[in-house]
Amino acid sequence: MNYANFLERMHNIQDTYGYIPECEIDKVAREFNIPRSKVYGTIRFYSMFYTEPTGKYIIRVCDSLSCHINESKEIVEVIKDYLGIDNGETTEDRKFTLEIVECLGHCGEGPVMMVNDHIYTHVSKTMAIEILDKCV
Amino acid sequence: MLKVNIDGQNLEVAEGTTILEAAKKAHIKIPTLCYEEGLSIYGGCRLCVVEVEGENLLQPACATEIRDGMIVRTHSPKVREVRKTLFELIIASHDISCELNCLTCSRNGSCELRKVAEDIGITEIRLSPINKGYGEDKSSYAIMREPNKCITCGRCIRKCEEVQGIGIFTMANRGPATIVTTFGDKGMGNVECTNCGQCIHACPTGALHEVYHYESVWDVLHDESKHVVVQTAPAVRVAISEAFGDEPGTIATGQMVAALRRLGFDKVFDTNFSADLTIMEEGTELIQRIKEGGTLPLFTSCSPGWIKFIEHFYPEFLPHLSSCKSPQQMFGAIAKSYYAEKNNIPREDLVVVSVMPCTAKKFEAKRPEMDGDVDYVLTTRELAGMIKAAGIDMVNLEEEEYDRIMGTSTGAADIFGATGGVMEAALRTAYELITGKELEKLDFYDVRGMTGIKETEVEIDGLTVRAAVAHGLGNVRKLMEMIKAGKEYHFVELMACPGGCIGGGGQPIPTTDEIRQKRIDSIYQIDKNKKLRKSHENPYIKKLYDEYLGEPGSHRAHELLHTHYTARGV
Ligand code: SF4
Ligand code: SF4
Ligand code: SF4
Ligand code: FES
Repeated sequence: MNYANFLERMHNIQDTYGYIPECEIDKVAREFNIPRSKVYGTIRFYSMFYTEPTGKYIIRVCDSLSCHINESKEIVEVIKDYLGIDNGETTEDRKFTLEIVECLGHCGEGPVMMVNDHIYTHVSKTMAIEILDKCV
Repeated sequence: MLKVNIDGQNLEVAEGTTILEAAKKAHIKIPTLCYEEGLSIYGGCRLCVVEVEGENLLQPACATEIRDGMIVRTHSPKVREVRKTLFELIIASHDISCELNCLTCSRNGSCELRKVAEDIGITEIRLSPINKGYGEDKSSYAIMREPNKCITCGRCIRKCEEVQGIGIFTMANRGPATIVTTFGDKGMGNVECTNCGQCIHACPTGALHEVYHYESVWDVLHDESKHVVVQTAPAVRVAISEAFGDEPGTIATGQMVAALRRLGFDKVFDTNFSADLTIMEEGTELIQRIKEGGTLPLFTSCSPGWIKFIEHFYPEFLPHLSSCKSPQQMFGAIAKSYYAEKNNIPREDLVVVSVMPCTAKKFEAKRPEMDGDVDYVLTTRELAGMIKAAGIDMVNLEEEEYDRIMGTSTGAADIFGATGGVMEAALRTAYELITGKELEKLDFYDVRGMTGIKETEVEIDGLTVRAAVAHGLGNVRKLMEMIKAGKEYHFVELMACPGGCIGGGGQPIPTTDEIRQKRIDSIYQIDKNKKLRKSHENPYIKKLYDEYLGEPGSHRAHELLHTHYTARGV
């Protein structure tokens, strides 16, 4: 099996629908002649694939060691309060999904958060609210 | 050949030999967990690490090939220290708690973790176990998963995918959060699982086991108002005594019958009786289809693992399936009609229990189209457990005989338990019924043994009957693809489990290829020693047709002994 083609196909589906629906999993499984459990396992392995629809804005806040020391917990709490959702959840209006993640690659500039493809460093509580406000 | 020195022993091995295989040759046992013979190498548990001279890091023996001149130390102080720590980490991730749940585990007698602990000399566990708090998967009628006991060795994943060709399980998540799950976390009962139970044989722990019926069976045995009859499948008698420490393949038919009587069953009958009946019905169906131009090839229908497989993966072939119920279900249907009427037992007071080498039979008994034929299905392992719990020293009991008339059978029925057996039994009967002549050579060696796909041709009355046999769902799929591509046969036997039912998912653990072969040898031994070896010669089958069913394929036979199937897809 050609894994590069397989992953590219998954990215396409993810980009088209914002998640990978069950019927697409079945299709890909048939196409690559692999059990559908394998496709599902791949989705669950990579953090950029989703089995459920996500919000328009995916908010990722880093909570690995260096961000943690810089009080990333507080940022998380502020965002949770503001959006009214928990880690891994999506707001009812399908605008926001919150994810606490390990390392976004800017360890010297913590706390770090990411909105879709955009990185924000040295995030303060007020800054976090401002960023979210802009999205609304 | 490559030279290697393992723990001071010099030996020569062929290119491509792993350190693990070479060590085995030198009679050195390296502990393993994620390795299983016959499956691909995963190299995930790291328990098999060894020291290789000139390398800084320890190497996994199962995944490292010998290089010429290699010097290996498998049990040096460093290796033993690391191995113990690794084992402690594995154990910490496993649900061993202060409640000592090892004692209540399905694998209390056959746990591989316990064996490894013994082999590497574990004397203390420094880490407290983590309760991962995963829920149990109770979605299946046949098999239950307890993910808290899972050490994510991946053997079930590889067994299901590589040997059975299905792929029900997958790993999900990463790092310490890694779990084994099914498509969409739906659970085994809600996906295309065939219930064959081969994954249970792969599992080193108690994370996978059958859905138990033994508690309900105890209840009915103690209920005075119930008349409880039991039937035993052919493959059980050549395996059950392994659970009591006997050599694999020991024939324990008489002792098992005696033990079942002591447990309190009112009648001890034999699924072999209805296996003979199956041959009468299926043989008749084959002859009809050949004579009247029906759908060919005809596929056997005794293995519920195979039935679920074809319903999911080849629904377009369902018209090829024999409409005959399996011997287990035929027995139930006859017990609840003929036997009950003859003995004036109200249907609601009659309980039919079966003892099967099989987990898929539990699902079969619950199929709505046959509901009520069989009430409870015990695996060979469950029955062994009940016999132990009743304090019965089974292997030393005097042999006893099955009850009449549903306990009498021919050798043709015994061989149902081995791959190729149903085919052989059917050919013996079909030949004589069609030609009216006596078959000279009863043994069809071509269809016996562990080869994955077997073929034979038999001349019957000017027609060359072409037959094929496949066992293990991986081989079954191969044969189905051959048929799809145009390969022509008249009659095809398909069994879900490698080796046939003697290797079923409900058989004693361990079940290896070597053990399968020994059980098969015993099955043919039983057949050879029987006076009657053709199903149509069973006098009580004749009596059943005379008194009750009329003739094979009759209206009543169809009502009681035949069924239909469901296209499920994936
Ligand atoms: S019972 Fe058979 S088909 Fe189902 S998961 Fe286990 S090995 Fe796979
Ligand atoms: S269920 Fe058993 S065989 Fe499967 S990964 Fe877990 S421990 Fe290994
Ligand atoms: S081959 Fe035998 S043990 Fe395996 S699923 Fe079929 S009936 Fe059950
Ligand atoms: S047995 Fe070699 S890594 Fe698991």
